[in-house]
Amino acid sequence: MRRPLQTVLLLLSGAGLLRIALFGDLYLRYVKEGMRPLLIGSGVLLILLGLTDAVSSLRRREDGGHTGHGDGGHGHQHSSVPRPAWLLFLPALSLLLYAPPALGAYTASREPAEVAVTHEDDFDPLPATSPLPITLSDFTRRVRQDRTGAIGGRTVRMTGFVTSAGQGGGWFLTRIMISCCAADARSVKVRVHGAPAPAADTWVTVTGAWHPGGTLGTGSAPAALDARSVEKTAEPVNAYTDALPPPALGR
Amino acid sequence: MRQTEWVLRKTEERPEIAEGTERDDGGYDLPLPWPLLLLAAATVPGVVLYFGGRWMETPAMEAWRTVCLAVTVQALPFLLLGTALSGAINAFVPARVFSRILPRRPVLAVPVAGVAGVVLPGCECASVPVANSLIGRGVTPAAAFAFLLSAPAVNPVVLTATAVAFPGQPGMVVARLLASLAAASVMGWLWLWLGRAEWLRAGVRHGGHQPGGSRWREFRDGFRHDFLHAGGFLVLGAMAAATFNVAVPRSVLDAFSGSPWLSVLFLAGLAIVLSVCSEADAFVAASLSGFSPVARLTFMVVGPMVDLKLIALQAGTFGRAFALRFSAATAVVAVLSSVLIGGALL
Repeated sequence: MRRPLQTVLLLLSGAGLLRIALFGDLYLRYVKEGMRPLLIGSGVLLILLGLTDAVSSLRRREDGGHTGHGDGGHGHQHSSVPRPAWLLFLPALSLLLYAPPALGAYTASREPAEVAVTHEDDFDPLPATSPLPITLSDFTRRVRQDRTGAIGGRTVRMTGFVTSAGQGGGWFLTRIMISCCAADARSVKVRVHGAPAPAADTWVTVTGAWHPGGTLGTGSAPAALDARSVEKTAEPVNAYTDALPPPALGR
Repeated sequence: MRQTEWVLRKTEERPEIAEGTERDDGGYDLPLPWPLLLLAAATVPGVVLYFGGRWMETPAMEAWRTVCLAVTVQALPFLLLGTALSGAINAFVPARVFSRILPRRPVLAVPVAGVAGVVLPGCECASVPVANSLIGRGVTPAAAFAFLLSAPAVNPVVLTATAVAFPGQPGMVVARLLASLAAASVMGWLWLWLGRAEWLRAGVRHGGHQPGGSRWREFRDGFRHDFLHAGGFLVLGAMAAATFNVAVPRSVLDAFSGSPWLSVLFLAGLAIVLSVCSEADAFVAASLSGFSPVARLTFMVVGPMVDLKLIALQAGTFGRAFALRFSAATAVVAVLSSVLIGGALL
């Protein structure tokens, strides 16, 4: 790879990182919030490196003649960048021009349900508000682990995106969570009964009650909901968290 | 990888088709008339872009691109940290510093270098360039490899993450620390015993500060070179990891969680193909709740030492002959070490 092209590649990579982390929230499609300062730092560093490179090679060209050639011996060792370096253009350009969306229904539909739910022994009493805003993981834990059965009969509100259940029909309310980057995505799904499936990847808030089955508070109970209402909501900025539904409008 | 091929093909297609008159595999024997050529030149790029774009927007391709970018974006800051550190070691730290810190006998230097891995906070991407520059500064390769293997697994950031991911199980943190140190030291000694210098790419490293040159310039040049070099291989590894991630659904896991031996081997294999960064793999391991503690320990010991992006990075830095042998041996040693230590502690 020629020297000027290397400089361009450094600048493009830096610009790509700054575009997703500094001038927008796109980085949340790929990594966690905590990475932002690191990404901005890396972007700035790459751009500075590219700029000093450009300046020094311009200066060398102005000096011209023998100094430039005398330097050649030094430049040679480093300028032999192997072919795979070209591959860096792909993420750099992709970040700048063609950023892919956050993971969604496609990924979730290929994962087993409820992998992401941790085990808990002590459950606090549920707050009295109705409908009760709750996360998908909390709801699943309450249904399958809380032996007091406090969730039974309660009206709950949850937000997630739509994943279709495949050949059997029906659909899941879904959240994808990441621990580090989108490569380690895990999903939590709650089956929704009594409402037609919206288009996959639509973000909705569902109000409803637990769909009875098995014994509540044990692994035999399905994480499922009888829907009373399904409203479309905006996709949250940080989609890879299992957050409470946004406050209801007009209530 | 499919994406690259596609991009390459796309850029090559136009001249090929424009000159297609002389190609015999297309079945054209007669020169095409000019108007047809012009028409093709006007429409083919658009058609290719349109269908290519449609294909890139299918859910599977979008997931692939997202995962690929995610691995790259996540690793880039740590790769930069590693290259900056290795550039600094190269340009500013005199070689005698290392000979003073490390014991003179390589057999003793190996475990000391393994423990020294504690000081490099970051994931595995940072440790490859640093190990490379250590070798360039005269550190015996065996000790540098012990450092390379242990640093991503035993630094405080990773151990804290492990403790957070396995609350109330301090045994897991201790077992991870010990099993990683043991595997790293064994690999160092194995290199002393069986390793051959010719497996390493000749002239692994532009060595150190040259008298008369500007240290700052050397630092910058080394930094740029290392970053572009390792970055390309990082993208290659990210593509491979994304391909496995999208092609093999997680539900396949359940089939293996029953048998204790199979599950250890299976999670070791999973750690290699998923290429999760070492700061996050504890959380992934914690989420694999169907598996035995020993299998999950194996996942966390193998992951930082051998995975697809790391193999690609090592191949780029030390040469392919080295990367394949070294990774295969490391995988075996790491599995054995985690089974032995995990079996005793967990």
